[in-house]
Amino acid sequence: MSLNLTYSKIHKIFDPHSKNPVHALNDVSFSIEPGELFCLLGPSGCGKTTLLRATAGLETITSGHILYGDTDMTSIPPFRRNIGMVFQSFALYPHMNIFENVAYGLRVRKMEEKEIRRRVTEVMELVGLTEELKRNPSPTGLSGGQQQRVAIARALVYDPDILLLDEPLANLDAKLRRYMRAEIRRIQKATNITTIFVTHDQEEAMAIGDRLAVLRKGVIEQIGTSDELYTNPSNAFVSNFIGKMNFFNATLVGSHSAKIDTTTVVVDVKPQRSRLNAGLARGSEIFVGARPEQLEIVEEESEQTIAATVQIIQHLGQVVRYEVLLDKAISLTTMEIDMPHYLSNVREQDSVFIRFREGMPFLFNREEQN
Amino acid sequence: MSHDPVTIKKMRKDITPYLIFSIPLIFMMIFLMYPMVLTILRAFMPSGNKLQMGAFSIDGFTKFFTSSMYKKALNNSFIVSLSVTGLCILIGVPMGYFVARVKIPGKNFMLSLGILPIIMPSFVGAFTWVILLGRQGVIRHFLNLLLAPLGITIPTIYGMFGMILCMTLTYYPFVFQLAYGAFASANALLEEAGMLMGASRWYIFRTITFPLILPSLGAGALLVFVRAIGNFGIPAIIGGDKYVLPTLIYFRVNGFWDLNGAASIAIVNVAITAFVLYLQKRIVSRHEYETISATHSEIKQHDGKAIRIIAFVYCTIILVVSLLPQVTIIVMSFFEKWVGLFPEGFTLRHYTRIPAHSHKELFNTFYLSIMATVLAALLGSLVAYITERKKPKGAALLDMSIMMPFILPGTVVSVALLSAFSGNSIIKLTGTYTIIVISYMVRRTPYVYRSVAASLSQLNPSLEEASTIAGANWFYTFRRVSVPLIMPAIISGSILTLTTLLQELSTTILLYSSKTRTVPIQIYGAVADGKLGEASALSVVLLIVVFVIVYAMNRKQGKSIASAFKMG
Repeated sequence: MSLNLTYSKIHKIFDPHSKNPVHALNDVSFSIEPGELFCLLGPSGCGKTTLLRATAGLETITSGHILYGDTDMTSIPPFRRNIGMVFQSFALYPHMNIFENVAYGLRVRKMEEKEIRRRVTEVMELVGLTEELKRNPSPTGLSGGQQQRVAIARALVYDPDILLLDEPLANLDAKLRRYMRAEIRRIQKATNITTIFVTHDQEEAMAIGDRLAVLRKGVIEQIGTSDELYTNPSNAFVSNFIGKMNFFNATLVGSHSAKIDTTTVVVDVKPQRSRLNAGLARGSEIFVGARPEQLEIVEEESEQTIAATVQIIQHLGQVVRYEVLLDKAISLTTMEIDMPHYLSNVREQDSVFIRFREGMPFLFNREEQN
Repeated sequence: MSHDPVTIKKMRKDITPYLIFSIPLIFMMIFLMYPMVLTILRAFMPSGNKLQMGAFSIDGFTKFFTSSMYKKALNNSFIVSLSVTGLCILIGVPMGYFVARVKIPGKNFMLSLGILPIIMPSFVGAFTWVILLGRQGVIRHFLNLLLAPLGITIPTIYGMFGMILCMTLTYYPFVFQLAYGAFASANALLEEAGMLMGASRWYIFRTITFPLILPSLGAGALLVFVRAIGNFGIPAIIGGDKYVLPTLIYFRVNGFWDLNGAASIAIVNVAITAFVLYLQKRIVSRHEYETISATHSEIKQHDGKAIRIIAFVYCTIILVVSLLPQVTIIVMSFFEKWVGLFPEGFTLRHYTRIPAHSHKELFNTFYLSIMATVLAALLGSLVAYITERKKPKGAALLDMSIMMPFILPGTVVSVALLSAFSGNSIIKLTGTYTIIVISYMVRRTPYVYRSVAASLSQLNPSLEEASTIAGANWFYTFRRVSVPLIMPAIISGSILTLTTLLQELSTTILLYSSKTRTVPIQIYGAVADGKLGEASALSVVLLIVVFVIVYAMNRKQGKSIASAFKMG
């Protein structure tokens, strides 16, 4: 039943003939599996919303093809695509009650009144609004979470081939957001409609998506499951976007070992944790990357430690986060180190030493990491 | 799957919107752009009504340096409109401040009464002042009796003083209402912060409160200036021998059928207005600020006894004086004459003769106004939809051209239409209903346009996209989503249009024929003939109709009339 969705060499250039054309999507090609809940993730301006709107047909693309199943939809206008979409603002109609809001797509399809009634009742049951449907108020009288459910019901009621969700949780408060993302996953799995979920919140994307695509400046940086992206990031950008990554300026001294600049510390990593371009010469400037839990604070100096000054100590419950500053030649920004216990004799402004945990770090090309 | 990388062809589009959108564009081209271009051409032709291509002359403009009548008219226009603007600010700002910031009783009542002067036709205000301060005016008579022992007599209303007084009392509500809005909605936290930093009340007013209301004040002052310099009725009735530009235009057309000469004056008139608009935009744009704070706290009102008394007395006096005309015409409409202290000869004759003497004018007034309102609503909504939603390349130009009539005095619009559609032109419309409907549409479409554009800009486009996604084509979306959501804006724009058209004088006066006379024309004629009772009764009828419409809208939409009238 469910369709797969294929993007083939999508380019989108805004203002192509102006002085500053914006390349919003650059050679985007990938596929989404039937029934998959797929997250598009990236910082604002990365092109994720443009890609979603192009999928809907609300935005034209400059070149490339979008296929629903085996059908090329590229030049089909949005109202003939049979898709459901939930907008960030919900876009509920204030001049209609919730029944009419949900029934809208069915009325467009000129369905019989009896069938409309049956379908609306059914979908409202699915999203958990049976009681509200009995009162049938205007959507303006509902809470944020209920409005969200109406918006989802409205998008699902006519059995769309594809469901598109454009930052649907951005307008809800933190607690409701966490609850609704589980709800969205439940509803999506119940209907098994191929779904794209756009967000800029990596925690949300990791929690909800079967797979994620990380976009930056119109380019897909990496596609994979949450776990793949976190444990096996393909470059410095992804590693610091999905979770936190500390970067150390370093020099390549072996095929996968590097010396941290201005120190005697040499880091050896497992070959599969090197993300360096093939054939990079010894002596090249690179980054050594380590997640907060892959570093530790020690009080004695040794050959494998780097001098640091503690800036801020935050007790986060399960871990204690130490923000430390190193020699400017290693990094201009603070490093985050998560320790399982509070260190009773380390205070803010103290001088300490930090050390890599054995075999854990990554090697990255020296590139812009944001 | 392999796909050639060549650029794909454009998505197939729904062409309905483009077909529908071409209608307003064509209308604007024929009835606004074309007449305006002809007016500009005529302005540079020798006087007369002939459209002679190639005959170039700047006589129409040099007259402003050679003819004393032209010089005086230009001068008078400047003096009147600048004084009126200045006086409106002097009266309106303190009143706005008092009602917004001082604890006085009956604020809502004052705000409602304060809008009445601009709802009433301005020429009606003018002739009631004739009753009060004319040669045999009631108040003048009374004051002269009082001052006789001192050997002083009060001058009559006719002339500069009368025009300025009358326009000020008619137009101060614009400044009052806008200043009130600004003072009332200002964020108290900003002023409280100033106070905590040690500033005195006056220092805060000077450095915080006043700069923040400046944009509203600028908008109010501009509204007053544009109306004052374009007003025809007041100078026509109480200008006496003092001409201003609109009456000079009327004189050229009506007296000499000198369309080319009138066009020159019209261009000068518009140029002044455009220059002032430009100045206002420059000054205001330097003082426009976004509100930064997230929280908002209620303004604390002054409750000192002295300031409360001063505020209440001040507001009451202004309201009483500016509402004297309304009271006067109601009284006058029931009497034969009113030359001494009291009116004489109670009668209902002025009303009972209306059906026999004015049925044609009443029909014309309603027919023309309603036709024009419906068409302007259609046109204005469509253009607003185009510029806001489709954002075509020339959107700014379209916006400018549809808003242009907003600053065009009514007489100028008439001259432009006469330039294009009279004499031996291809389409001859002089003396028809059509030309009046068109002139009304051209002048009032901005009302609906502004109202709808504002409403659309606040309407999230995703509401319409959601409908498209759900499978609805453009027309279905337009019908079921866009139109219902902008309906309140269309209605309030239309009501405003209708109420102002029912009392339209300055455009109609140059375009009407015996067949198309309207009630305002009849009132104007009656005043000219000295039949003040008849004029009053007709004015009362107009006033009641307008008041009922505005009141009904207020009840239905729960929206203050003030916010509808202060567009611009």
